[in-house]
Amino acid sequence: MYELFKNLGSWLTSGAQWSGSDGIAHRLAEHLQYSLLATLIAMAIGLPLGLLIGHTGKGAFLAINLASFGRALPTVGLVVLVFLASGLSMTPVYVSLVALAVPAIVTNTYAGMTAVDPDVKDAARGQGMRGHQVLFQVELPLALPLIMTGLRLALIQVVATATIAAYVSFGGLGRYVFDGLAQRDLVQVLGGAVLVAAVAVVLDLALSGLQRFLFRHRTA
Amino acid sequence: MNRRTLLGALAGAAVTVPALSACSSGITSLDSTGTTSGGGGSSKSGVTIGTANFTENQVLGYLYAAVLEAAGVKVTVRPNLGTREILIPALKGGDIDLLPEYQGALLHYLDPKATATEEGEMQNALAIALPAGLQILPYGMAEDSDAFVVTQETAKKYGLASLADLKKQNGKLVIGAAPEVKKRQVGVVGLKDVYGVEFKEFKSLDSSGPLVKGALKKGDVDVANLFTTDTDIQANDWVVLTDPKNLIPGQHVVPLIADRKADSTVRKALAELGNVLTTAQLTELNRQVDKDKKDPEDVANTYAKQHGLAR
Amino acid sequence: MTIDWSWISGHTDDLTTLTVSHLQAALTAVFFGLLISLPLAVVAHRVRPLRGLLLGLSNILFTIPSIAIFVLLLPISGLTRTTTVIGLTVYTLVVLLRNTVEGLDSVPAKTKEAAKAMGTRPLRTLLTVELPLALPVIMAGVRIATVMSISLVSVATYIGDGGLGQLFTDGFQRNYPTPVIVGVVLTLLLAVVADALLVAIQYVLTPWKRRRA
Repeated sequence: MYELFKNLGSWLTSGAQWSGSDGIAHRLAEHLQYSLLATLIAMAIGLPLGLLIGHTGKGAFLAINLASFGRALPTVGLVVLVFLASGLSMTPVYVSLVALAVPAIVTNTYAGMTAVDPDVKDAARGQGMRGHQVLFQVELPLALPLIMTGLRLALIQVVATATIAAYVSFGGLGRYVFDGLAQRDLVQVLGGAVLVAAVAVVLDLALSGLQRFLFRHRTA
Repeated sequence: MNRRTLLGALAGAAVTVPALSACSSGITSLDSTGTTSGGGGSSKSGVTIGTANFTENQVLGYLYAAVLEAAGVKVTVRPNLGTREILIPALKGGDIDLLPEYQGALLHYLDPKATATEEGEMQNALAIALPAGLQILPYGMAEDSDAFVVTQETAKKYGLASLADLKKQNGKLVIGAAPEVKKRQVGVVGLKDVYGVEFKEFKSLDSSGPLVKGALKKGDVDVANLFTTDTDIQANDWVVLTDPKNLIPGQHVVPLIADRKADSTVRKALAELGNVLTTAQLTELNRQVDKDKKDPEDVANTYAKQHGLAR
Repeated sequence: MTIDWSWISGHTDDLTTLTVSHLQAALTAVFFGLLISLPLAVVAHRVRPLRGLLLGLSNILFTIPSIAIFVLLLPISGLTRTTTVIGLTVYTLVVLLRNTVEGLDSVPAKTKEAAKAMGTRPLRTLLTVELPLALPVIMAGVRIATVMSISLVSVATYIGDGGLGQLFTDGFQRNYPTPVIVGVVLTLLLAVVADALLVAIQYVLTPWKRRRA
């Protein structure tokens, strides 16, 4: 164990390890690209869906069940299935990551919307606000903390799971994990795992910082 | 003959060394190895067969299972465990007892500097290189080598016919192979050592599977590492680069087993299989699994019955 | 991409074996997850300074890719079921620990004071008052952890285990969609059935909740 961590130190700090097409810098950039793009797509799907369900109260049962169904979807299976259907491209990776992220975003957005006090909504309507005004000016801001929680959860899961890109020949930090497995090079596996965890933690901190920035007027 | 016997003795009594006098396929007569005194192991408690993550190795694993079961041994097959790098520690650790191996690749895994290329020599070198507790049994007739393959277009475009030709394109070509090939002698390391070849990029794909073949078809890689028993090479009219300097060793299928399970029943059953199964037959079995989508287990059982190796 | 129905009918035995093995791995992991999280949650609930540390630690474990955990366990537990179960257990911790702590937090202080006033000892209060009242929140965690484990078992196919996940690698290597589709569908079914069973168990375990619901 001690040996493993000592070697990890030199693996992470060697200049050669950071450069080139298989270098950490490049793999890190790929990993960020996969994770952020997948999360953005998932947001584009999940946010409107969650807001709509929360605002209208329709389809909630279906959405919640679909979400827990989505949580049960085995990512490895989905990647292989989409790969067999669409061939060698990034599509299987993005489809699986989006499928992973959407449920967390939808359920939390919906939960945030339902947590808004009905009296507040009524008051807004009483002041003559229209449906979309109530949604965007009252419900959305009040639901934001829970929506952000959903986004953070989704992002963490996506970052950890983007490792799977390497299984279907692509890059990202998963390359170190899968190559390390094939070569039984545990230092490489550990290095990949530590970097993935670091990316997840840093992105999560960044999002929670953003969240605090967005709500600074409330606490002030 | 003397040298071989001596080497065999050096490697310990448990190691099987094929006699020089065996036929060209190198099959040992059973009476030299089939005695219980050779191993001291017992298969009574059952044998767990592990296989690597590609079709042929699973076919071989189930063939081993079929003949061992016919000999009354209780068998468990654990398919698709990963690469040699994962399997051999598992064999040492006791998670598995037996696995289908390939002479040259195994030898280079154990001893990257090994120079033996002829079957008998490799068998001896293996006996020495193997860690304590493991032994190889006599090798079979069937062979499956690594091949470095290019498409017809690539071959024409760069004038490629042999591995030596790759050097002229140093820094230009992309090679695709399973991740472990990057660090293997029969792979990127040996291509550089022996032929002075350097690639622009190494793409981690799979072992003669959908990724590496898909990438070769699409042109994502220029050179692909495939197995000679892969029927897709012929089907796609791909060019296998010749190996004038013998980087790629002979790759007869050879059972690698833990001493603790190597008794005469197991030796006899596996030797019989090795004496019957040809490269062409193995290639056909692979094709049935990959193309006809038959189960490796069914394919193996049917073969064993047809050839009188199992009832 | 067509389904080869004859493959399915010809493999019912294999599919049963894989499904049972899949479920076994997932449930064993949740069991050990609970076994570890319950005492840790009690500590985190009572000792405030440790709370952030324990929850933070479980959060960080959650960010490590599962495949990496399996591989890193190879020198310790080899290509065995133990490796699969340890890896999965690590992932259940984040949900189980958080929910158990929140469940314990949700028990009203007055209830605990009442128990204390009646002379109930702390351990007894924990077992007969706090944990039962925390049960709904804990069970919500158990449900999420179970569904998550069922979906994650297949990752262990990369180390030769993985229950139904073996169908994924098999279909992948042979360009054969049928086993993959069957594997995905069976995994989803397992998750739905397991979740429904847990709801039923919770119903039985919390009789005082029924009338309100």
